Amino acid sequence: MASKVSLKVKGKAKAGKGPKSKEQSTCELVKEWTTWAMKKTKVITHYGFIPLVILIGMNSEPKPHLYQLLSPV
Amino acid sequence: MPLPSSREMGSSASHAAAPPSPAPVAPPPTPPVGFAHLLPQNTKENGDGKGAPAKVDWLDLPCPVPYEELQREALMSLKPELFEGLRFDFMKMLNQRFALSHSVIMGSTEVPSQSSDVIKVPSAHYEFGANFLDPKLMLIGRVLTDGRMNARVRCDLTDNLALKIHAQLTNEPHFSQGMFQFDYKGKDYRSLFQLGNNAFYGANYIQSVSPNLSLGGEIFWIGHQRKSGIGFAARYNTDKMVATAQVATTGIVGLSYVQKISEKVSLASDFMYNQMSRDVTSTFGYDYILRQCRLRGKIDTNGVVSALLEERLNMGVTLLLSAEIDHAKKDNKFGFGLTVGE
Repeated sequence: MASKVSLKVKGKAKAGKGPKSKEQSTCELVKEWTTWAMKKTKVITHYGFIPLVILIGMNSEPKPHLYQLLSPV
Repeated sequence: MPLPSSREMGSSASHAAAPPSPAPVAPPPTPPVGFAHLLPQNTKENGDGKGAPAKVDWLDLPCPVPYEELQREALMSLKPELFEGLRFDFMKMLNQRFALSHSVIMGSTEVPSQSSDVIKVPSAHYEFGANFLDPKLMLIGRVLTDGRMNARVRCDLTDNLALKIHAQLTNEPHFSQGMFQFDYKGKDYRSLFQLGNNAFYGANYIQSVSPNLSLGGEIFWIGHQRKSGIGFAARYNTDKMVATAQVATTGIVGLSYVQKISEKVSLASDFMYNQMSRDVTSTFGYDYILRQCRLRGKIDTNGVVSALLEERLNMGVTLLLSAEIDHAKKDNKFGFGLTVGE
């Protein structure tokens, strides 16, 4: 008898959760995506910002030469 | 009495409208100096040549300084970049707009400790940076040998709207910070809105209410710690002095006063009261801007005396000497350095 009751309770709990989980999952999905996007942006900025500045600088007028990037003079 | 012709006076036609009066009743005006000769009416009305105080045009007030830079004169004099150890900076301009910078810093950094002892850890690092400065776009990036990166972007979206991004990224998780700021400059006001990580939202607004006085306020909200605050600030400046006052609900009251004694000398003082930590600090400092060097020094009510000397030895070579003596904690910091390039 006890096992039957427990099964019934489980069934009810699952049914109650059904319609709620859809709403929660959209909010959670949006949060997950923004967190994933921010993490990727952080890694990209960390490694790519200075190469980006150098690229923009080397293409600005008047164009500096490549050796000027490395030599101390 | 014929008016002196402009040919005789040898100056612009407007000067001809200001005749030196022969009658003994009105005193003769003093000879015009500087821009005075371009103002025909004033020399006629006031004999002393000083000019009446200009009528205030309440619809044409000057644009105020940004809210963050309210105390910039005081901060320039009283909070110079003191350092400990050796510092070598080399800035190489590849272009008018593009520059690379190399920096070597060797010294001790303080580690925050619970006890009153000061714990210093020796550290040495090399910092590489790239700057791109355009009138519309400014990109500054700096990276250190331990992986920390500092990036600043400033972009003028329109004539009045600017976007600033500041990010400090580290390899350790949860220690990185980022901030976006939208800055709008109106005719006689400025407003700013900022978003940061940890759900930080802030906004501030400053308005000129008279040619010398500007008032502003700010509000911020930190989501993760559920903290918010409101602050108000006022700034009164003339050609010779700047006085500012700031009050915030975080319990901070700050006042500062800077007096420009001459082109080369200015004196500054600062008062800060923190209600949360019951901390009161008052600072007095001086700033000498001479031809070959710049010397800034200050003395504090916490018993700290410090000075920073920047001496231009040669074209492009600057020697830096920094000293900070803390009598209360018996912690002395001395530093020397060289800056090559701009």
